[in-house]
Amino acid sequence: MTDVMIEFRDVCKRYGTLVANDHLSLAIRKGELMTLLGPSGCGKTTALRCLTGYIRPDEGRIFIDGQDITGVPTHQRELGMVFQNFALFPHMTVQDNVGFPLMIRNLSKAERAQRVAQALRLVRLEDYESHYPRQLSGGQQQRVGLARALVYRPKVLLLDEPLSNLDAKLREEMRFEIKEVVTRLGITAVYVTHDQAEALALSDRVAIMNRGRLEQVGTPEEIYEHPQSRFVAEFIGLSNFLEGYVQAVDGDTMVVSVGGLQMRIPALAEAGPGQRVLLFLRPNEVELLRPDDPGGANVFDARVEKVTYLGDTLDYRLTFGQGLTLRVQSDAQRRFGQGAPVRLRFPRVRSWAMTSG
Amino acid sequence: MRLVRAYGRAMWDARLILAYTLLVSLSLFILAPFLMIALRSVGKGWFGRLWLPPQLTLDWYRWAVEVGNIPEVMKNTLIIGVIAVAVSTVIGIFAGWAFGRRQMPGKEVLMAIILLPRMIPPITYALGVAQIFYTLELVDTYLGVALAHVSVCAPYAILVLSATFEGLDERVLEAAGVCGANTVKRFFYVVLPLIMPGILASMIFSFTHSYNEFTLTLLTYGPHTVTLPVRTYLAVGDGYWEITSAMAMLMVVPSLLILAVIQRRAKPEKLVGGFKGV
Repeated sequence: MTDVMIEFRDVCKRYGTLVANDHLSLAIRKGELMTLLGPSGCGKTTALRCLTGYIRPDEGRIFIDGQDITGVPTHQRELGMVFQNFALFPHMTVQDNVGFPLMIRNLSKAERAQRVAQALRLVRLEDYESHYPRQLSGGQQQRVGLARALVYRPKVLLLDEPLSNLDAKLREEMRFEIKEVVTRLGITAVYVTHDQAEALALSDRVAIMNRGRLEQVGTPEEIYEHPQSRFVAEFIGLSNFLEGYVQAVDGDTMVVSVGGLQMRIPALAEAGPGQRVLLFLRPNEVELLRPDDPGGANVFDARVEKVTYLGDTLDYRLTFGQGLTLRVQSDAQRRFGQGAPVRLRFPRVRSWAMTSG
Repeated sequence: MRLVRAYGRAMWDARLILAYTLLVSLSLFILAPFLMIALRSVGKGWFGRLWLPPQLTLDWYRWAVEVGNIPEVMKNTLIIGVIAVAVSTVIGIFAGWAFGRRQMPGKEVLMAIILLPRMIPPITYALGVAQIFYTLELVDTYLGVALAHVSVCAPYAILVLSATFEGLDERVLEAAGVCGANTVKRFFYVVLPLIMPGILASMIFSFTHSYNEFTLTLLTYGPHTVTLPVRTYLAVGDGYWEITSAMAMLMVVPSLLILAVIQRRAKPEKLVGGFKGV
């Protein structure tokens, strides 16, 4: 377990009756970029602020590099942090902002200047040393924030929704820039966001939180391909959900009845006949066929209710079976108009057994 | 089309000329009493029939200083002003912090009460102050007159400082903490530089209010605590317009100095808001 840099051990934080962190346990490895992802109010920011020491957990302990820092004050935790609203010192120049952590640590002026210059080079802001934050664009301010967080080579870099205050295009650019810098320095980073695209693009691993609890921790691929709960599937990417029940189990496949149709899908270990199941399909995991294409297993007739042109893809809303609706995205090669009959093929359907109720 | 444009431009020019005429007239209208006093204070043998005084002299200033005992009066005014500023600033820092940074019930009501002395007619308020001060024997003491001034200075200090503290971004303080600054360093390197403009603004406002305050002083002063506005007012009663004018002019000097400092050192509107909304 020596490769663990940060560990949350059973951390709880309550605000009155609201539970912000509910027995949160999470280990973040050295050099890893871990994203805490979730909707607002899921407890991700609380977890981060427990890490900075700005909030004290009611229960549980937090370790950084094997050391219990639960009771250590913020300024002794040796962290670097980038803030959503940049939180630069408005009365200091870029140079003084970036040099602030070094000044606090009583580094000599020469060494300070050298390391500030190095940090500013890292974020490509060499020529802005004597500017004040208000003279910089949002993207530049955030790069100053990043330089300030990295200048004293902290063990851990924390990023609290650093891109939310930037416009869409810049956000994407900065995403790669942050990833690049973090990878190059090999620093352990905790990234908090509610933007799933950002999380998938940046992270080594993602921890998805909901109502103060961890829903799932895994690589972006694991989380996207194998969501362990409906919440995760819904939160990451686009999803269709269909409810049905198991009619029969036949070896490693089972027949599920959905809206009057029978689907053959991989069997669930725990599901016997009669078990209610939730089927889950990504909109790009459904094949659209012409109505005269041959039928077969998991091929159904459907109707196009609505088409939306999205440039590289077409977004269809389809109805099939008895009152089932489905959202499908396919490339613009083969087009179907509104009201057109189509055939659907489901090459891949994932499912979960539903608990009663 | 051309004609329309030319007509439009002419109208625009006409409007501009009209606007300037009005604004210059208004400025003259506002400045006229001041010019009147300025001329009167240096004029000799001028009875207002002529455009300008026939002779210029500084005699009235000498008279004002000697007869009006201006150095003593100026000393009173400054001492009272300094006490009022000190008390108002301390009140302003604590109250401003509470108003600007804390969520508390009844905030609006409290703010309204604090602003009350500014809103009701000064004489009404001054009468109440005078009655209380007579019982407390605070009349004709530096502290008494200064405390009376505080009732108008403190609301300003509180307003300015609560805006300053409100503008102090919690996240910036948190950032300083994460950067390694403990509470003391956070205060000296981040908090203080950020609130200093607000504190200075509040002190300047408080001082000018105390310096200019008339009504409250009139009802709380005594022989030992005559201030400049009151002395000037009393001189009016003596009937020597020239000497009174000279006093009035002397009184303006510090105000102009303060104004010059503010204009040079910082933009006044920046002082008012501190670093709010950077």
